[in-house]
Amino acid sequence: MYRYDEFDERFVRERVAQFRGQVERRLDGSLSEDEFKPLRLKNGLYLQLHAYMLRIAVPYGTLNSRQLRMLAHIAETYDKGYGHFTTRQNLQFNWPKLKDVPDILGLLADVEMHCIQTSGNCIRNVTSDQFAGVAKDEVEDPRPTAELIRQWSSLHPEFVWLPRKFKIAVTGAEHDRAAIKVHDIGLKLKRNDQGEVGYEVIVGGGLGRTPMIGKVVREFLPKDELLAYLEAVMRVYNSEGRRDNKFKARVKILVHETGEEEFRARVEEEYAKLDGPTINAPEEEVERIAAYFAAPTYEDLPETSQVLEQARAIDPELDRFVAQNSFEHKQPGYIALTIALKEIGAVPGDMSADQMRAFADIAEKYSFDEFRVTHSQNLVLPHVRKDDLPAVHAALKAAGLASANAGLITDIIACPGLDYCALATAKSIPIAQAIAKTFADQERQKAIGELPIKISGCINACGHHHVGAIGILGLEKGGRENYQITVGGDATEHASLGERLGPGIDAEDVPAAIEAIVETYLAEKTGEESFIETVRRTGAEPFKAGFAAFIESRTAQHEAAE
Amino acid sequence: MAKDHRAGSKVRGDKLPAILMASHLLEGDTVFLGDSGWTMDPTAAKIAHDAETAAVMEAEGKAAAAANTVIDPYLVPVDLTDHGLPVARHFRDAMRQKGPSIHPDMGKQAEFTPLD
Ligand code: HEM
Ligand code: SF4
Repeated sequence: MYRYDEFDERFVRERVAQFRGQVERRLDGSLSEDEFKPLRLKNGLYLQLHAYMLRIAVPYGTLNSRQLRMLAHIAETYDKGYGHFTTRQNLQFNWPKLKDVPDILGLLADVEMHCIQTSGNCIRNVTSDQFAGVAKDEVEDPRPTAELIRQWSSLHPEFVWLPRKFKIAVTGAEHDRAAIKVHDIGLKLKRNDQGEVGYEVIVGGGLGRTPMIGKVVREFLPKDELLAYLEAVMRVYNSEGRRDNKFKARVKILVHETGEEEFRARVEEEYAKLDGPTINAPEEEVERIAAYFAAPTYEDLPETSQVLEQARAIDPELDRFVAQNSFEHKQPGYIALTIALKEIGAVPGDMSADQMRAFADIAEKYSFDEFRVTHSQNLVLPHVRKDDLPAVHAALKAAGLASANAGLITDIIACPGLDYCALATAKSIPIAQAIAKTFADQERQKAIGELPIKISGCINACGHHHVGAIGILGLEKGGRENYQITVGGDATEHASLGERLGPGIDAEDVPAAIEAIVETYLAEKTGEESFIETVRRTGAEPFKAGFAAFIESRTAQHEAAE
Repeated sequence: MAKDHRAGSKVRGDKLPAILMASHLLEGDTVFLGDSGWTMDPTAAKIAHDAETAAVMEAEGKAAAAANTVIDPYLVPVDLTDHGLPVARHFRDAMRQKGPSIHPDMGKQAEFTPLD
């Protein structure tokens, strides 16, 4: 894992001291709310419906046990005993007091954490593949790239007041688990025909009110040219991105309005003018960073573990958990394990302070003191010995963390929605809870298979609904909450945006509507097709027809009841 | 940003009776203008039944924002319960009066007498 050098340490401490001063000046009235708001946002502090909210950066989703124990301590001392993991691999506290925030930031700094770049119109915390360094289909670990971008972007004077926020995601694998096509910039590490490592550069993806799939602006960028090229992209955006209209200020709009060809030409023109060698990181620095992410010292183990096989044979629960939540590791005898923060009826992504402590112990003992946060609001133990799996499962179960539903229909992404968020037009978490309860039966979930449902409580799309195989968007219509449903969204390398099935429906009708959609899938599916594969083949039409039939029967029921 | 999303303004028809709601600067909690100053208790909110009272309350809110006590005060149209308690007409404001629906153990609903 990356460790702070004196520079990082000093920078973070200075920011804490600055913010302490800013809070003092706000409280004594020398700063007005209008002056203070951009400053607090620079430090991850929002004001929501019931309280302030503090968003803590988890760079590329990697944490250790010491950090998680500190988060547990903060949750208990300054909040209401829990935290919420988000789709941007960050952690949010929902109840901090303004007067406590400088102290919280100080405690975070003690464990090399902060809230910088979690808000505001800057380059945000860089996200990555939760199986970085582990996945078999990986060309190279994406985290050194993510860390390099963090260091380059944190204090870059040109890019602190961009037209709008800017999100970068990096993957090193063939299968995209970081949703790079729906980010402002998506980077994919790849090899060219000569076997050299470089990046495919995708620009202009995004969700929100105008969802777009990013465009490839460079098929292959040599690895050592990364920062200069990114700088060229940022310069074009910074000078030409729209500042007159917040809703048109993201780079996706610029790429769209300029046209892909012209945008590419503008970037290349800018790139030609830059003095690459003065911008690109020196090789020693790249190597220094990469060394922090070196693989842990694995044991030489056989691929199959007798201990695990025997335990699975007699414990169906363990067997189901391993079958559903494990991910193949490149090191024989190890696996990566997904911990779904998705117990039936729980709040997606929430974790109590007790669970944090229990999980910190597990990560320390069984996964080289490291774990990851996923954009599906789950956690990952990246390096577990198969021999240890029975013990890990027992420990997770004792902490209420052994939900065997990773990737299934009950593993739902939901933004905070109207339960917390000041921008929400409808609730989103209770919808996730109701759907999870409807599909709680394990056998039924297994029969339905992989089915990512994603829910947002307004068009900002923090819950990624556009790229959910089933997407749900909560809006307000006629003074009531109303939900629009889409199918066919995909956040992977096959990225696509979902298509709307029909008119919006009431909250209480959503679970039954999802059942109708699932019925259509089961009727249409051929062979081993997953939900998204079926939609890709059939198109949305059969689902629209099924949905229309559902609405009709629903209306008939309502009328009969009156 | 909150200004664009103020729910009270979306309520159609009569904007009265109304209460005045804001966020407390130091605590961040939702607060209501009461008979004597700001209160965390939704049942203690002062109710404006006529436009003049509402205007006076709104001015009081602006002054409190200028004095750095509260943030973003605004009038919230309410219905009165049988006990005369104010329940916001818009579901977003009602959520602020109660606390998160998913955590009945948190927020106003956990600390004060329920409105209805
Ligand atoms: C107070 C809470 C929040 C506020 C005010 C907020 C605000 C916004 C806004 C305004 C947008 C639209 C940006 C645009 O289209 O330019 C957005 C997008 C997004 N937010 Fe949030 N958000 C909040 C919470 C969250 C949470 C909890 C998550 C993670 C679960 C999140 C993740 C995202 C993502 C992934 C997007 C879409 C990607 C994109 O930027 O295009 N946000 N948010
Ligand atoms: S999608 Fe809307 S409701 Fe959900 S967190 Fe984002 S801004 Fe809030």
